[in-house]
Amino acid sequence: MKGLLLASLALGLLVVGTVIGLRFYRGGKEFKVFLGALVGAIGVYAGTFWLLPADLRFLPTSWQETSPAVDFWNGLLVLGLVFHGYWTFCYFACVSPSMGALVALRLKGREGTSADEAVAIHGSDTPADLIFQRRLPKLLQGGYVKEEAGAYRLLARGERVAAFGSFLKRLINARIGAQ
Amino acid sequence: MLKGLLLSWMLITVWVVVQSVVLHVAAPRKTFNSMLTWFAPTLPLYLLLYYITPADLGFLLSEYVGVDWRIGLGNGLVVYLLLFLTVGLFYSHADRSITIRLLIELARAPEQRLTLSEMRAMCGVAVLQDRLGIMVRNGFLAARGDRFVLTPKGWIAGTVGLVARRILRIKAF
Repeated sequence: MKGLLLASLALGLLVVGTVIGLRFYRGGKEFKVFLGALVGAIGVYAGTFWLLPADLRFLPTSWQETSPAVDFWNGLLVLGLVFHGYWTFCYFACVSPSMGALVALRLKGREGTSADEAVAIHGSDTPADLIFQRRLPKLLQGGYVKEEAGAYRLLARGERVAAFGSFLKRLINARIGAQ
Repeated sequence: MLKGLLLSWMLITVWVVVQSVVLHVAAPRKTFNSMLTWFAPTLPLYLLLYYITPADLGFLLSEYVGVDWRIGLGNGLVVYLLLFLTVGLFYSHADRSITIRLLIELARAPEQRLTLSEMRAMCGVAVLQDRLGIMVRNGFLAARGDRFVLTPKGWIAGTVGLVARRILRIKAF
């Protein structure tokens, strides 16, 4: 129980830390804010687990895990799983084209939208530009693709990710590619 | 606590295997619904297994047994739900990630090269139109003539997204 309580505390700090961090962060790699907050949260968790007594001065004996190692790793597991869910939620809520359409419709009220208008939400002159404005620079900077004579060529790093992605899609029986 | 953890890991492994078979054999259109349908019966199964098995599962050392059984049961259940959520998110990453799709299209293209307009054709408008269809199928949007409107479920999701975007500052571009 000690591990769970301390993991909850660390998660609370992690959420506050990412919200504050994202307000001040000006770059395009927000994941660094999340990873930094995770490292900080793990540090807080491990530090307080090591420093504080097994009963946290209020836990009854029957609530105390008999093995400190199980207590510690269980708390860390919960911390990791909740962090993953939180990170994914944040990215989905802020970046996903589907959520973008839902938010735009929520702001529009009852009038709704046509398919063309919904697609145009994601671009200015060319529909769907937002998709590429965010993702292509990251792929270029990350060394996954390179720009070459007016086109984009896949690099070895990108090929490995594409192969892994194809493998995952086969695993879940999802459609691979546009056709 | 270890008993609940071991039961939850065992059950999630069984569920992942069963769900993989379902995805390959039945290819459900509403995948997340299918996941929920196959996962839901495992919750009472977890409770039943926790109830009928001994505290040490017949092999755990005594140092791993002893915490209040309600804590062990609740902790195992929370971890089980979190594992299910994580697998669901893994599915979502693998199935819906636009970046992965972009890289796969590049890998399949002649000489592994695509122009921006070719990428737009494969992963731009087509993806967005796909997503509109998925949101209608999953009950977030309703089609009224040639227009889409939010359903109550879509309104709640849109509100959650709106609030999240106001609190978090992750740039969409």
